[in-house]
Amino acid sequence: MSEKNSKTSVTRRQVLKLIGATSAAATLASYGGSHAYAQDMPIPNSGAILPTEKVNLRWVDSGDQKAVFYREFFPAYTKAHPNINIAYDPLPWNEIAQVVPLGIRNGTAHDVFQLPTSISGAQAVSEGWVQPLDDIIPNFAEWKAKFPAGVFLPGITDFDGKTYGFPFTSAKRYSTHLLYNVAYMEQAGFDLESGPLTWSSFREAARIITEQGKGAYYGFIIGGNQLNRWSDVVRNLAVMAGVPAGTGSLMTADINLSTGEYAFNTQQYIDAVNLLLALRDDGSVFPGVLSMNAPQARAFMPQGAAGMIFQGPWNIPQWETENPDYNFGVASQPVPDDKDPLPLNISEGGANSMWLYSESKLGAVVGDIFHYLGTAEGQTAWANIVGAADAPILPEAIANANMSPRAKKALELFNEQMRVGPNPLVRNPALIDVSLELRTPEPSFAQVVQGLYTGQLKDVEAEMNGLQERYTAERERAVQVVQDRGGDVSLDDWKFDNWDPQVDYGAADYESL
Amino acid sequence: MATQDLNRLASAPSRPEPGLWQQIVKARWCYLFMLPSLLLTGLFTFYPIFASWYFSFLDWSGFTDTKLLVGFANYREVMGDALFWGAFRRSFIFMLVSVPLQLVFSLIVAVVLNDKSFGLAPLFRTLFFIPVVTTTAIVGIVMTFIFSPFNGPVNRILVNSGILNQPIDFLGNPQTALGTVIGVFVWKWFGITMIYWLAALQTVPSDLYEAAKLDGAGRWHIFRYIIVPLLTPFAIVITLITAVGSLNVFALVQTMTAGGPYYSSEVMEVYIYRTAFGTSSGGSVPRLGYASAAGVFFGLAVMVITIFQGLAARSMRRKPVAP
Repeated sequence: MSEKNSKTSVTRRQVLKLIGATSAAATLASYGGSHAYAQDMPIPNSGAILPTEKVNLRWVDSGDQKAVFYREFFPAYTKAHPNINIAYDPLPWNEIAQVVPLGIRNGTAHDVFQLPTSISGAQAVSEGWVQPLDDIIPNFAEWKAKFPAGVFLPGITDFDGKTYGFPFTSAKRYSTHLLYNVAYMEQAGFDLESGPLTWSSFREAARIITEQGKGAYYGFIIGGNQLNRWSDVVRNLAVMAGVPAGTGSLMTADINLSTGEYAFNTQQYIDAVNLLLALRDDGSVFPGVLSMNAPQARAFMPQGAAGMIFQGPWNIPQWETENPDYNFGVASQPVPDDKDPLPLNISEGGANSMWLYSESKLGAVVGDIFHYLGTAEGQTAWANIVGAADAPILPEAIANANMSPRAKKALELFNEQMRVGPNPLVRNPALIDVSLELRTPEPSFAQVVQGLYTGQLKDVEAEMNGLQERYTAERERAVQVVQDRGGDVSLDDWKFDNWDPQVDYGAADYESL
Repeated sequence: MATQDLNRLASAPSRPEPGLWQQIVKARWCYLFMLPSLLLTGLFTFYPIFASWYFSFLDWSGFTDTKLLVGFANYREVMGDALFWGAFRRSFIFMLVSVPLQLVFSLIVAVVLNDKSFGLAPLFRTLFFIPVVTTTAIVGIVMTFIFSPFNGPVNRILVNSGILNQPIDFLGNPQTALGTVIGVFVWKWFGITMIYWLAALQTVPSDLYEAAKLDGAGRWHIFRYIIVPLLTPFAIVITLITAVGSLNVFALVQTMTAGGPYYSSEVMEVYIYRTAFGTSSGGSVPRLGYASAAGVFFGLAVMVITIFQGLAARSMRRKPVAP
């Protein structure tokens, strides 16, 4: 009996040893993987007075191409400053929406973070989440002056004369351009080199690819568990179809900035929703999209599981690096069948704003890194690695960088299809108070589109009218609250009747209002 | 002599009852040893409860010093929120479906494993218990792959065996999302309920089984007339524990569906979390005050149900056990 027990015990130990060895190997492999990116990267001295003791900087952002760059840059930085360790956490937006507020709530937030998409800069500043960069970044005034106009904007990155947000890439990109499998598209009989797909040819292409896939692959895929994918796709399709709605934060998104009214009940929005429902009804959408987020959906493309996806340029270098044999094309999102597309608009020049946690004690290190990211050297290093995924903001870096043909095509597309639009917060900084009061009505636009797609909601027109009423009522309430407090704000602040969506909206246009 | 002693005892003045303080001093070591757990309970149980009551009367994001006292406004808003009632309803659906399944399956397995002639019982007991000790969030994420309609093993088996023509998007279909999460929940936690049942079954004297067998009772009769009556008092406690457990499903729901699609699997905990800490699609500052009001209201509702359950348990205990 005891012999039997003894044998059993030895076997258990062996199993435990095996599990331990496997875990250790996996851990080593994962560390090895992350360090494999490390390479030398010259980092000029910014003049920052860096700590001499051992410090640990924590940095979180939405990853993608930023992660590719930082996995090279941070080890290089630590190599130059061995006492500074940088813990980098690239996370999907869904998780940033949870990790950042929870960290701030608990006083354990990362030193540097991107704000959740639901939180504006004004809210973060007002809530005391972040601290100004003016005294953090060396030679701040000189450094800031090198950025193009429209990058640092009052009410967006700057508040009360101080700069809080640092957008270090260009905002001229959109997250719903078409990425497609070249072989599937050719097999389906479509040539996207000769011109973009229209709404109807897009639907047809999705249907034919699905048919030819015979269950092995499908025409179209979307990360339907990630709510913002639904609103982004519908909004951008609708704008290109002719309704000049804002595409930025809650303060501008889905508001026709020519009339100042919400655009949910316009025919373009309704038609865009119906296009998605038509794809669903055709059976052209990859099964299971409602239980996958955007990164999961994107990962299926190089596997050949779907022919088309609406996504951003950050996929281009990632797929080119990780899947060099995958033959994919870059094109415009589908354009209207019967008219020229309207350009998409952006409300500010910069993107990927990074913010410094108000309780961070490592401002000097962050200032040193931010300084580098805003120099020609840093921006060119960025562009060399990232390409069109997140284009650098300094024009000289774009000129100097080496990019793939796909990346260059994407940048050309953005220049052709995107314009800087008007921004109510720049026109009237007092609207910051409205942005603090404004809440997303529930069910939100994204939730309603998802609900229509799942079939839980039936009547597209009625639901879009409902959205129009809810969002209008909420904005009126927020404006009224601020007015009651004595704020000089009005619904007319959203009405830019001198705006021509075909050209950039500049300082002269704000003055002529 | 004996009569004299009795008289003396009867006429002796009765000793006065010691006061509360004297009792505490007398049992000071007991209280000293209880102090750490009392402190921890105060910090991590009572403080959050009282704090959430206080927060529920505030318009407060939870991140700033600016707190605005709004009285019962949050409660009024909660009452008028259809999404709150939807989550409320789903939480109880979750409980009403999962608890009976968990209780019945685990009891059946426990009775089988309690059979001394079943040599492999320890192995199966361990196998059934493994999901209990597995991290819930990891189980949730792994299940999203297992139930995936594209090459997920569940769909592959169902389609290959001819049961289905088309794969089902278990977690993306509003008709199946909540049911799938309930199924995984029952699978994950029925091991712990099984252990409760096994512990209860150990209290049934073996001579009762033997006597019943001698009387010619079969398995069903032993179960119906011996096991069930003797387990009834335990069943009430096990049901209570299981029911409370079925309301603590945040990690599983959040990792499997995050309450979607379109709220179809949003239970109260996910609703509270979403309103307390914001959503990825919104544009709202988190509302800890509002979420606290929703939490307090839900907590009160659960308390009322628990009281009724306790009363029912008491009345069941008073009933004489059938011979």
